[in-house]
Amino acid sequence: MHSFWIDLLVAIIKILVILGIALGIGAFLTWVERKVAAHIQRRPGPMVVGWHGLLQPLADGIKLLTKEDLFPRYGDKFLYHLAIILALVPATLVFSVIPFGPEFEVFGYKVKPILSDVNVGILLAFALGSMAVYAVALAGWASNSKYPLIASMRKAGVIVSYEVVIIFAVMGPIILAGTLSTYEIVQKQIEQGLWYIWVQPIAFVVYMFAALAEMGRVPFDVQEAEAELVTGFTVEYGGMKFGLFPLVEWYIEGLTLSAIAVVLFFGGWSPINIPFVGFVDPLFFLGGLSPFVWFILKTILLFLFILWLHWTLPRYRIDQITQTAWKIMLPLTLINLVLTAVLAPIIWR
Amino acid sequence: MGKVLIFGFFSFLAIASGLGIILLRNPIYVVVALLSSLIAVAGIFFVAGAELVGALQLLIYAVAIAVFYIIAISAVPWEKAKKSESHYRFEGLVSLPIVLFLYAEMILVFMLGVKASPEGKFRAFIEKLGNTEVIGAILFSKYFLAFEMVSLVLLIGMIGAVLIGRKESQTYEDDST
Repeated sequence: MHSFWIDLLVAIIKILVILGIALGIGAFLTWVERKVAAHIQRRPGPMVVGWHGLLQPLADGIKLLTKEDLFPRYGDKFLYHLAIILALVPATLVFSVIPFGPEFEVFGYKVKPILSDVNVGILLAFALGSMAVYAVALAGWASNSKYPLIASMRKAGVIVSYEVVIIFAVMGPIILAGTLSTYEIVQKQIEQGLWYIWVQPIAFVVYMFAALAEMGRVPFDVQEAEAELVTGFTVEYGGMKFGLFPLVEWYIEGLTLSAIAVVLFFGGWSPINIPFVGFVDPLFFLGGLSPFVWFILKTILLFLFILWLHWTLPRYRIDQITQTAWKIMLPLTLINLVLTAVLAPIIWR
Repeated sequence: MGKVLIFGFFSFLAIASGLGIILLRNPIYVVVALLSSLIAVAGIFFVAGAELVGALQLLIYAVAIAVFYIIAISAVPWEKAKKSESHYRFEGLVSLPIVLFLYAEMILVFMLGVKASPEGKFRAFIEKLGNTEVIGAILFSKYFLAFEMVSLVLLIGMIGAVLIGRKESQTYEDDST
């Protein structure tokens, strides 16, 4: 009985930390994005609210919350609101299978910094991640308006194509690790002394393409397409209801997909890797904290890379996007699978 | 105790959304109810400890299959979707005996299956090897023939879909000129 309460307490603390990360950092990332975008375009970006606009997310939040709540006249109220929940909940749930660091001890009690270490974690992450398509489709339909419907159909097409691709792409690392658990995948990389990016570069590139498509970033942001569709499926949403969609799509999904990429290809919380030799840790002076810092550092770098792509590339057409998925990306992943089958016995040894 | 509560919650949700699938009039609500029942079934799998089956249930049924319903129905105009009378009342009446027969068969198979299932035989396996490995081992040893047959059926289905989806006009394009 005693250990049950401790388990419960630990679980609640983990959930609070994860929600804090998902919603707090998510909001703060809007500021990061605006700053990065501004500096890429040689502007200063937000400067007025706080030091270098640091309080801008707070101001935005207050503005969004106090806006008038509009609802399209012939829309479907239940589905309109259900879409918001369907967008937020699965995307946040993905955090529950992301391992933030190695097991550690607090007061003689072992804690794994992962909410639920299910042995099919990676499948679950992608299953939950692709639930986003319902939010988009329902939001588009319930708004009863042309632009949202077009946008949601586009986005559904993109997600359906790239969901297939992304699962085939992550098969490579899964075969090399021989497990579907996210925690174990990182453990295996540390044991084998190898980041999977070194042997799976094709899978990583395909993964990044698919991740960009899933989170609706440029060059695959056809569902937004400000110039053609105003802002896509969020046209009929106002105030904070509107704010939640980009928050989920761009930031929460962006963070989770970057974190999963770090887990699969960059050895999770392990320091810099020299293939087949070992790990070099320039942050050794941080002691027990260093794995967590490495994990966060890698995730943030990957996220910034996505931002960099977003603000420098033009947009593809929808048919080009789906064609790339089926005609280039899918064959590439299949080639990668064949290569992995050759490589796997060498790495397993 | 907690397990039973969660199991009860998911089963109630599955049954309630199953009723929703049959009784709701708006087709998009029906698909949402279908989605909720599929997710509830995945939840039951998770409670039972069949994590791989649960994740596949989410990935294949709740995402890959149900999404096509959504896409198809989203293309239906708003006024048509809200039409209250059904076009298929007569067909529904005719198909009722067949449906009842199918249900009876399902119940029968379920009852026989409960009796015939090797009680606790796989538990030791699962604890030793883990969920995914056990399913792989059973699928590729005991049920290998069935597995291969299913893949054949899927292949036939795919060829059929391609044949139906292909435009006839392209085949006979140059005959007239």
